[in-house]
Amino acid sequence: MENELVAQTTQRAMGTVMSHKAFGLSAQVSVAAVCREVERIEGLLSRYLPNSDIGRVNGSAGTRSERISRETYEVLSTAAQFSQSCPGCFDTTIGPLVTLWNRGRDSLTQPDESSIKHILPLVNYRDLVLDPVSMTAGLREAGQSLDLGGIGKGFAGDKILDVFKQLGSSSAYSNLGGNVVTVGAKPDGSPWRIGIQHPRQEDRLIGAVSVVGRTVVTSGDYQRHFVDGQGKRHHHILDPRTGYPSESGLVSVSVVAERSLAADALSTILFVAGMEKGVAFLRSFPQAGAIFIDQDLRVYVTQGLRARFEADKGIEVTVLD
Amino acid sequence: MIGLWIALGVVGVLGAAGGYGWSRLMKEHKEARSLPLNAVDFGRLGDGTYHGAYAGGMYKWRANECDVTVTNGRVTGIQLAGSTDPGTKNAQHEVLYDRVIQAQSLQVDTISSATLTSKAWLQAVENALLQAQHD
Repeated sequence: MENELVAQTTQRAMGTVMSHKAFGLSAQVSVAAVCREVERIEGLLSRYLPNSDIGRVNGSAGTRSERISRETYEVLSTAAQFSQSCPGCFDTTIGPLVTLWNRGRDSLTQPDESSIKHILPLVNYRDLVLDPVSMTAGLREAGQSLDLGGIGKGFAGDKILDVFKQLGSSSAYSNLGGNVVTVGAKPDGSPWRIGIQHPRQEDRLIGAVSVVGRTVVTSGDYQRHFVDGQGKRHHHILDPRTGYPSESGLVSVSVVAERSLAADALSTILFVAGMEKGVAFLRSFPQAGAIFIDQDLRVYVTQGLRARFEADKGIEVTVLD
Repeated sequence: MIGLWIALGVVGVLGAAGGYGWSRLMKEHKEARSLPLNAVDFGRLGDGTYHGAYAGGMYKWRANECDVTVTNGRVTGIQLAGSTDPGTKNAQHEVLYDRVIQAQSLQVDTISSATLTSKAWLQAVENALLQAQHD
């Protein structure tokens, strides 16, 4: 009987559309609680809200550190660890560059080289000062700003999992605008089947991955992109080293892992690092698997996902050693 | 005396109109917060082309209409028939429409992709599909 109870809702938050679905007796209550949790996390991490933790740290850049919540501290310190472990692949101080490129997206023009060169020195994760005792965060230089685009939804995904579990949901999923988190298996005991978007054909999946209680996060060059006056495609994943959208030869990277924060950071890192460096980097995360798609639309999956990834008809898959 | 009754009548009409307006405003607020697309049973669609419209939120700026074609019980095409959204030129609705076609044809629960936005486009699709549904 319990399996017949289901609740589903959609929510606009964190600049995207989310959907949450839960089964079981607590379905209704947990879906409502998840929506509130997402709003709460957005209130902490959004750089567009001046009174959020991140908004205040950005507002005081070059002046002083700001007291932040334990949760924001956790996100920033985890992000700093990722930045240190793969320098140049991932940087939460990328805010000024994102602002510059967003301006370009609205006017469909590429920022000029001199503006990028001028702004690039502000992007430096070493200038984020974190103090675990006073629970504060600060940016050393005026003009610097944090942007948690590569990790914020991942953190929200983990918090959603906590809410589902606390309220007794044993079968649920949330899709945070493409980041998927799952609790347990489907009510009939079978795994969740998560489609992986084909990066070049909008009406097609490249395949599907079967998961139980895991998260699937994809970084790709095909959403939030614009085509400039010269017909060049600019996507939203910026390379902190060059200041330009990443051109690593990959067009999509999906990471399958236990925790969503790590999966979100990893998918961005692997996308920017490229195939060779990315595969090597992933070895430090034996619990995580990945699906890489390169610009020739060749698909590569890590060994652990071999049995769980099913490619669409006509798609060839290479299993990585 | 007559003047007083007229004055009271005007107040009454204004009050009723205000109450009606307020209830509609609240309804639209509620509607905008959550636009679920789960009322359609894809297993019970009749063939034909169906017109769907979504009135948009309280300022009507996301109002849109579409034509949904059902062939052999499956959604085979969705065309935008009109929109007040100035963002229509970005063609994001096409991405969303394609996902409706895709989700029914592949047995997946949900789709992982690079981040996607907007939901209003899907509401008109749902409205068209509800018309296509058998009783």
